[in-house]
Amino acid sequence: MSDDRWFHRVPTVGIALRNLRRTGTRSALATLGIVIGVVAIAALGMFGTALEISATENLSSLGNEVTVTPADDSAGFGGGGTLDERQLREIRRIAHGEVVPVKESAAQLTYQGEGGGVRTMWVPDATDRYEAARGRMPASLRSGVLVGSRVARQYGVEPGNAIAVGDNTYRVVAVLESEGFVSDLSPDFTVVVPRRQLRGEGYSSVVVEAENATRANATATELDEELNRREEVADVRGGESSFQEQVSSFYDQLNLFLLGIGSISLLVAGVSILNVMLMSTVERRGEIGVMRAVGFRKRDVLKVLLSEATLLGVIGGLVGLALSLVAGGLLYLQMLGDPLVVFDPRNFGDLALAFGFAIVTSLVSGAYPAWKAANEHPVDALRS
Amino acid sequence: MVAIEVRDAVKEYESGGGRLRALDGVDFRGNPGEFIAVMGPSGSGKSTLLNVLGLLDVPTAGRVHLDGEDVTDLEEPRRTLLRKREIGFVFQDFYLLPTLTARENVELPRVLDRPSELSARAQSLLDRVGLGEYTAHTPDELSGGQKQRVAIARSLVNDPSILLADEPTGNLDRETGETVLGEFERICAEGVTAIAVTHDEQVSRHADRRVDLVDGEIR
Repeated sequence: MSDDRWFHRVPTVGIALRNLRRTGTRSALATLGIVIGVVAIAALGMFGTALEISATENLSSLGNEVTVTPADDSAGFGGGGTLDERQLREIRRIAHGEVVPVKESAAQLTYQGEGGGVRTMWVPDATDRYEAARGRMPASLRSGVLVGSRVARQYGVEPGNAIAVGDNTYRVVAVLESEGFVSDLSPDFTVVVPRRQLRGEGYSSVVVEAENATRANATATELDEELNRREEVADVRGGESSFQEQVSSFYDQLNLFLLGIGSISLLVAGVSILNVMLMSTVERRGEIGVMRAVGFRKRDVLKVLLSEATLLGVIGGLVGLALSLVAGGLLYLQMLGDPLVVFDPRNFGDLALAFGFAIVTSLVSGAYPAWKAANEHPVDALRS
Repeated sequence: MVAIEVRDAVKEYESGGGRLRALDGVDFRGNPGEFIAVMGPSGSGKSTLLNVLGLLDVPTAGRVHLDGEDVTDLEEPRRTLLRKREIGFVFQDFYLLPTLTARENVELPRVLDRPSELSARAQSLLDRVGLGEYTAHTPDELSGGQKQRVAIARSLVNDPSILLADEPTGNLDRETGETVLGEFERICAEGVTAIAVTHDEQVSRHADRRVDLVDGEIR
């Protein structure tokens, strides 16, 4: 719509547009402040989202795992309790996913006269489950042991070495690939031993590997309900509810912090609008006095001046949004390899926030000069 | 029937610690169709009287009547509405909005009401003051006399019963002043009360009546 049409359709906006154009450079600079503020908020918000996305990608397997351990106060062998065969059958019945019973114990490892405490672990079909980094994986584990990457590094153990675990001596069949510390089944800090090394009935824990976090969540909830119906016999942890939620809440806070930093630049932009509007109302004192004299009400003057401030915010906000999408695309290309992540719904919140903040900032900054000008007595304004 | 009247108007200002009495018991009336020149030196209270008559200012004491109605104690929004409906203003410095064209300046007092035919009315007013060709010009493209004629057209757009002018010839050469004053006479012929405050003798020669204001009193 042209200026002319604005003047007749929405006169206050039409007059505001003309005034902004009259002081073009000044208006442009005030708008630039808003643009920078919007880009700062949006870009930092999107940066936070990028961090969160890349972190949750790395941690995705975590949310898929549910671990059942005996409740702390349940009696059992060797101090800690165990889960028995009946409970394992129960878990198999309930769980949505692969059920892996685990036996664990602490033992003394000795190699070439040196040694220390390690975790020993047995899981069914360990040779299928893990990958060998060095050595050859046998079809099944009968007499030798598999050594986790960290343990191997710590004690300098290689395939073919003989190590003592507790009272028994074993040959190291393979050193395992590192699997990180995310899964309870990760062998990195353990020595995987044949079953006979870990005597005794029952299992120290049962791990359920679900297809996805949703299934894991359902499994965790149902296991908790079913197993602990009469008394608290098992602790169930895992699914999205625990660790991933903590991670997500950490990133929420990080995001908030980044948005806070971005907001400061918008506040500065607000001060610049305040300044521009104050200058403008002082310069136009007489004109505003005439408008009041010929029948503009205080609120009409207020509307004209608030329109000016808001237009600065809207224009700055829109330009800022466009630049933010470009900046976000480049950021995601760099961090995640895919610029289109910029259209992730999580970013829309940040973009909307940045735009909304731009409008609110300009309105608030325009409020005082507008109020001051609207309330000046027309006689005083015309005398100047 | 009296168009506008002030009775025993007093206006005092706080000024540098003392009270300054700008109007000291002024009685003044303007009849429909009358062209009145309020003469007086600077500081005589002319502008104050104009502000009181134009409902821009409230007297400290005394009454103001517009078309027979006592408007002295009206609230500001109501006075703004009356200004828009009944009064036209012509200022010494023209006070056209520099961002608007001549025609838009003429439309300004009524543009918020968005009446139909506003542009046509503005056009005919500009035709009347001889500026029909200049409607799309902005004030900086017009001469002083042209600006003053645009200001006169603006003061008439709301069909006022009172036309108030502050030094209408103050920034004009003699010849242009004559043209402008001739316009005032024509406006009065249509029943509008025109009151011009001035210290220009030229204005009083065109006026029906001359009122002299000295030190806030009519002599």
